[in-house]
Amino acid sequence: MSAPPPRRPPGGRLGRWALLLLAAPGVCYFAVFAYLPMAGLVVAFKDFNIREGIFGSPWNGLANFRYFFETGDAPRIVFNTLFLNGLFLAATLAWGLLLALMLNEIRLHLFKRVAQSVVFFPYFVSPIVISVMLQVLLAGVGGEGGALNDALSVLHLPEVSWYTEPGAWPWILTVVKVWQLGGYLSVIFLAAITAISPDVYEAGVIDGASRARMAFSITVPLLRPTAAVLLVLGIGRIFYGDFATIYAIVGDNGVLFSTTDVIDTYVFRALRSLGDFGTTAAVGLFQGLVGLVFVTAALIIQRRYARESSLL
Amino acid sequence: MPSQLPTSPAAPPARAARRRTVEPFTVVSYLTVTLFALFCLVPLWMIVAGSFTDESVLSLRGYSLLPDPFSVDAYAQLFSGRAIGRAYLATLFITGVGTVLSVACTAGLAWVIARRLRPVSRPLTVFTYLPMLFSGGLVPIYLLVTQVLHLRDSWFAVILPHLMMPFLVFITVAFFQQIPTEIMESAHVDGAGELRIFFRIVLPLAKPILAVIALFYAVTYWNEWFMAILFISDPDKYPLQLLLQNLIANVTNATVLPGGSAPVVPVYQLRLALTVVTIGPIILAYPFAQRYFVKGLTLGATKG
Repeated sequence: MSAPPPRRPPGGRLGRWALLLLAAPGVCYFAVFAYLPMAGLVVAFKDFNIREGIFGSPWNGLANFRYFFETGDAPRIVFNTLFLNGLFLAATLAWGLLLALMLNEIRLHLFKRVAQSVVFFPYFVSPIVISVMLQVLLAGVGGEGGALNDALSVLHLPEVSWYTEPGAWPWILTVVKVWQLGGYLSVIFLAAITAISPDVYEAGVIDGASRARMAFSITVPLLRPTAAVLLVLGIGRIFYGDFATIYAIVGDNGVLFSTTDVIDTYVFRALRSLGDFGTTAAVGLFQGLVGLVFVTAALIIQRRYARESSLL
Repeated sequence: MPSQLPTSPAAPPARAARRRTVEPFTVVSYLTVTLFALFCLVPLWMIVAGSFTDESVLSLRGYSLLPDPFSVDAYAQLFSGRAIGRAYLATLFITGVGTVLSVACTAGLAWVIARRLRPVSRPLTVFTYLPMLFSGGLVPIYLLVTQVLHLRDSWFAVILPHLMMPFLVFITVAFFQQIPTEIMESAHVDGAGELRIFFRIVLPLAKPILAVIALFYAVTYWNEWFMAILFISDPDKYPLQLLLQNLIANVTNATVLPGGSAPVVPVYQLRLALTVVTIGPIILAYPFAQRYFVKGLTLGATKG
């Protein structure tokens, strides 16, 4: 957000106050739902119980943090969070870019429009619906079969009991994310491609370069700033697991936790089943702080390298 | 870029020939895009087909692409119970009220930021930006909603935590800043107050961006279940997504969902039917809404 020349100050003092009225609901909202909860994080340092409330409960120093790191869950869920999100980010960005390049090749107008609408649609499908979809594909009726296993048996390959196979899930979830976000990201990339001046392709046309050559040697390098911004934004959020999708799909299926449990799902489960506010708040604070480091680093990198095309 | 290639008959022969040759990359593109589009659609289609397939056939032959024999049992059962109507009402309330509140708050705040008032706009920008960098996490929000605001089992517990997304505030700011200052200045000269300018001039001009953010909020509310699962425990108040989640997580709930009189409940078929009912409105609204989303994304990608 650069600062263009200031507008002329508005009318009288009274007019200005009226304007603040417009901002008031939004300001109140952020104060109550974004800033007040930050203060609520003191719970992380307390032996919290509902009866005595946030400020009445006794302090217990770093005991909550110690508990979290001593249970041995910490390394696993931190690794899962970084690994899964890294995988999702790389796969969705790469596929979104490739899809945009290919959509750009399509000249039949109607075909292109329909294809774009179709690939964009999964973005609007809720995590719960995705989980139903996966059960149709992977579990079938009563945990037997499933469309994918039916296909495997047609090819004379052994069937797999997917929901008890933790090793497969990072990849299954990655495919899900590509399904969900591939089209969405391709729209962003395609918008950037449309903004490229046709002139830059002229040399390529004269030299007789193939379409593929032009896509990968001219378009891709020009898309680097857009990709960089999306990458940096993604890295900034890398410590926040994709809670809704993962929890909707995996739920409380403990067999899969070893590869799919991320910080958010861990916190959520601890809160719901154990009601352990102190430890969960401590994990939340830990997540927030490490997340802040990532975001800040991402922003600094972005400021330095992609000043021209920042999303924010 | 065919627009760059000469189309007149007088074009040099070499180029004209180039136009006609079909390049491998183009063929690969058509094929891959078609396959990926099918990959996007087929799982959803299997849900639709399955929801019209008799449960006994489903368990015997598995899922298929065509319902055979065709059966609407699940839908009949679904709509015989009252749960589905109540859940629809809940989701409509959350989506409708939520979207109106969200858009109103977002537009108001965005305008004050976009107005670039000396002592106010800059701090407000930072104030709105910080929550994107750091959040208190789940526990404080949980305590806030249940212990301070006492919104347990209220639909507002689902609405409020998502009321404003900083990202959409800034997209709106970017749009507002494109409105020429002269329009406001002449309105000022004519004696219009700030509020009058906002409601009579700015909002009508901002309809496209308001449509975009309304759609983003509406989809978020429609698909929301995380807050619902945390705060709504009364089954009568379940929104659609939570009802569906419950049906997946707990098969026995299926016996509660329809009237309760059915001897054998087609759990799987019912689950699929409920899924179709849940995404139905999105599919119907999609053709109209899609271009606004594309517009919003494009704005977000190029502005800032």
